[in-house]
Amino acid sequence: MLTIEGLKKSYAGNDILKGISIDVNKGDVISIIGPSGSGKTTLLRTMTTLEEADGGHLTFAGVDKDFEKLTGKEVNTIRRNVGFVFQNYNLFNNKTALQNITEGLIVARKVKKSEAEKIALKALERVGLTDRKNHYPSQLSGGQQQRVGIARAIALNPEVIFFDEPTSALDPELVGEVLKVMQDLASSGTTMVVVTHQMSFARDVSNRVIFMADGHIVEQGAPKAIFEKPSEQRTKKFLTDILANV
Amino acid sequence: MENIKLIINFLGQLLPAINITLIVSVSSIILGSLLGLLLAAARLSESVVLRVLASVYVSVVRATPAIIMIFVVYYGMPMLFNDWFHTNIDGWNRMYFVIIALTVLFSAPVSEIMRSAYESIAKGQMEAGLMVGMTPFQTLYRIILPQAFVVALPNFANSVINLLKEGALTFTIGVVDMVAKAQMIVANNSGGYAWQTYCALALIYWVISLAIDKGVSQVEKSYQAKRKTIAV
Repeated sequence: MLTIEGLKKSYAGNDILKGISIDVNKGDVISIIGPSGSGKTTLLRTMTTLEEADGGHLTFAGVDKDFEKLTGKEVNTIRRNVGFVFQNYNLFNNKTALQNITEGLIVARKVKKSEAEKIALKALERVGLTDRKNHYPSQLSGGQQQRVGIARAIALNPEVIFFDEPTSALDPELVGEVLKVMQDLASSGTTMVVVTHQMSFARDVSNRVIFMADGHIVEQGAPKAIFEKPSEQRTKKFLTDILANV
Repeated sequence: MENIKLIINFLGQLLPAINITLIVSVSSIILGSLLGLLLAAARLSESVVLRVLASVYVSVVRATPAIIMIFVVYYGMPMLFNDWFHTNIDGWNRMYFVIIALTVLFSAPVSEIMRSAYESIAKGQMEAGLMVGMTPFQTLYRIILPQAFVVALPNFANSVINLLKEGALTFTIGVVDMVAKAQMIVANNSGGYAWQTYCALALIYWVISLAIDKGVSQVEKSYQAKRKTIAV
């Protein structure tokens, strides 16, 4: 459904992504893990056109083109078909929880207000925040804000939702509620690509794990294979280090 | 008691000239804000040339005392127009020169205020807007600016009060505003009652800036109140 080949990106002479290829199929829940600075977030941001890639090819939503040649219209098409959940939530602070969700529907998708509110309420129900619909982001906890962020993404009914370290900015006791929502989404068949440090999520919820280091995909496969019998030394070391700290 | 009566009397004589002060201030605020907005956009733009030009402009204007700016505009502009456009603007109402000078002066701090307010609203919300399919302009207009406006308000009010005070130099090129009027009153009294006259003038400036402060905090309160009532 979404294929990227040879994706490259560098900043100020530093190669952050050195030719990444990924296939995302419908219903996939892919976890991307790896040490800090390995390019995970940059990968997500370039795949979704939030940042311009320096090279690579994209096939998605009827677009079949090199990243550098994407027109503004094609960028819009891509953005319309993906959802994005940010590490820092990035809710619209001047809008209520409900308005955060209706905004994109009404302004970008031209959905009628009453219809948009119906969709938004349904999305809020899925993340368990119906009773917070008229709260502003400043009146919500981090976990609740992130759940609104997820509701905002699912309301647009995208082909695939990207999660950029969705629990990294949260207090530890709030991580669970967000992971629970993501787990529910995964089991309902939502296609998800998740950059995460939550190894439990990668192991138990996703159907594929990608291990990245230094701008490369070192290894990918079923979670069982990666976690129990990693074939690469780097993967082994990373998992030993991170699991030792849990 | 006598002095208070005098001050009240002078107030009555000064107030009719307030409309010149107000016209000059309000026009400069409006034009200066628009120019400031353009400058802020230039400073935030991707073009290096625009960014450099705008920041040089701001740094020069910020360092120029109001009275010098007024003189430079008043004496310089007619020559400029003569040389470049072969137009004689000597006959212009002098108020225009003051408005132009104050507009230039006001645009510098305003551009700084707007830029920092814009930057205080996290870049993340712009990205979030793009990812729900809104255009950069829609996100700017519906998400960023309403928040930046509230952030900018107190500093903007300060700049407005500063402008109001700088505007008191209008008389230096012969526009009859309240200050000029005060000087006339003193002159008519052969230099007598000077401090009472200027006290009355200070009183008027104080009341105007009080009104600006009140107005701004009223707007701020209404924004906060809106948030509270909806949430409960």
